[in-house]
Amino acid sequence: MPIHEQSLIRPENLKTHDELVMDGVDVSGHWSTFIESRVVTDYNEAMQDEIAALPGGEHIHRCWQCGSCTNSCTVNAINPDFNPRYWIYLARMGMESELLRDKDIIWQCVSCNKCTYACPRDVVPEGVMKAMSHWLELKGHTPMSPSMHFDEVFADQVIERGKIEESRVMQRFFKRTGQPLFQDWFVEMVKQMLRHLPVGMLARMGLASVLAPSTSGWSRARDAIREYADEQHGKHRRALGLDNLIETAKQDAGAPARS
Amino acid sequence: MNQPILIVGAGPAGLAAAHALARVGQRSVLVEKEDRLGGAPILSGYAKLVPSGEWARDAIGGMVQRVESETLVEVRKGVKVAAFDGAPGNFTATLSDGTSVRAGAAILTTGFTHFDSLNKPEWGFGTFPDVVTTTQVEQMISSGQGVRCPSDGRKPKRVAILLCVGSRDRQIGREWCSKICCTVSANMAMEIREELPDCHVYIYYMDIRTFGLYETKYYWKSQEEFKVKYIKARIAEVTSDGDKLIVKGEDTLVKRPITIPFDLVVHAIGMDPNVDNKSISSVFGVDLEPHGYLGRGNFYGNTAETSRAGVFVAGAATGPETIDDSIAQGSAAALAALGALQPARASA
Repeated sequence: MPIHEQSLIRPENLKTHDELVMDGVDVSGHWSTFIESRVVTDYNEAMQDEIAALPGGEHIHRCWQCGSCTNSCTVNAINPDFNPRYWIYLARMGMESELLRDKDIIWQCVSCNKCTYACPRDVVPEGVMKAMSHWLELKGHTPMSPSMHFDEVFADQVIERGKIEESRVMQRFFKRTGQPLFQDWFVEMVKQMLRHLPVGMLARMGLASVLAPSTSGWSRARDAIREYADEQHGKHRRALGLDNLIETAKQDAGAPARS
Repeated sequence: MNQPILIVGAGPAGLAAAHALARVGQRSVLVEKEDRLGGAPILSGYAKLVPSGEWARDAIGGMVQRVESETLVEVRKGVKVAAFDGAPGNFTATLSDGTSVRAGAAILTTGFTHFDSLNKPEWGFGTFPDVVTTTQVEQMISSGQGVRCPSDGRKPKRVAILLCVGSRDRQIGREWCSKICCTVSANMAMEIREELPDCHVYIYYMDIRTFGLYETKYYWKSQEEFKVKYIKARIAEVTSDGDKLIVKGEDTLVKRPITIPFDLVVHAIGMDPNVDNKSISSVFGVDLEPHGYLGRGNFYGNTAETSRAGVFVAGAATGPETIDDSIAQGSAAALAALGALQPARASA
């Protein structure tokens, strides 16, 4: 069998029977291995619009499959399975099950943006990759990555207080990612700080970690940013058909419904 | 006074030639085998034309009116040229009604014939009522009826346009690109999306040839503004599951066979040589080129020449051609024919 065709066979599509009788004829042995066909039987027309509704994915429908993105891709040079051109096509045509096969490598885009500058149609493939990872996460196909957890904990504090308090960021990040607070490097760092930092600074840090002060006059900014963030989050979830009608109505009425 | 110029065929090229000659005071006889002038855009009921977006009945209809009101153009409808004899400056054409016409030169603007999709039976035309041609969709749009499935009149939710039906296909002896179908299909896809925003349109292609400035105006615009989807696949067959049409082929970009349901399948039919070209060739004594279109005698010095002196050619008679280029060629042929009368004039 030519190498090209071998590459089309997926192990899970090979069906082997130890004993097989067809129409009264025993065809056990070599003949009992079958390759199940991999026919595309329909397009999921919502998929392209869903990706396009997420930040970065807006121009996905422009793609004409020239492959400039994959050619210029930093990650593709290391992992040939990392193929933005192919994933953009799957998303455009709504071949969802096919895209999900690669869900564990899609997020590996390093956002170098070489593709962005190579693309003749201004698809902004880097943005599409971001939207695709976001889509996989929102749909529950991939777990939230540690860095996403960190970003959220960090952003939550900034929005809440107008500034961050490092020890709280670390605590919440460790908690959300199931890590113990007392990690060796962390304990060592605190010990060194206690030993070397001036007493006055240690006192201010201790007080800040207990009181967690806000930037003065922050509450109006907080409300405005929170409202906008909730609005965006709700918009993305609705675009992906993730919220039921009651939640949608709540969001439309302006009530915070962030999950 | 010198002889009139005979123009055979009253499509865009013939109308342009007749008009151009009248403008410079030259008489012409315009012979049309149908009982209406206008050629394919009028006879086949085209909708909005590429690239102006004007309705065919306004744009080409205007050319018809202009020619019909010219006193220097003698229009002969419902007749063919049965015989053509003589020499440059002094030809005689015998028409199918028995009358004859004296002419100093002749311009053949005999056009093309739409590909008959029955010649590609695997794509379902003639078997399933919801498999139609681009010409039929043009008629649905130009009649004001809108794009509907012929079987029950419903609005299609999903339309497939198959490109290169009757073009670029050695199996059926069509070894040419019909030039206009990609652009026409992209335009049609946008018209469908405009009329039926909930209807998804897929174009199955081997190559996209929206040449020149049509790239952005049709190909890019249809993708970027109208979200028309292009799939690189040559369809193997169109069948039916009793409810929907089933389109089978290989999606070459994912290396996977596809079996996709559709409400309406549109054949982007190509431009065949005029079915009468063999008799046109023998009546006028002009050569055909290898594909079966009327051959051109000269590509640079005088583009309108055929293999016979005093007989000129323009428009889609010479090969797949756009409407606006056919019009330009009609005017060019008029000037070439006028030039050919000069020696006759000088000696008269």
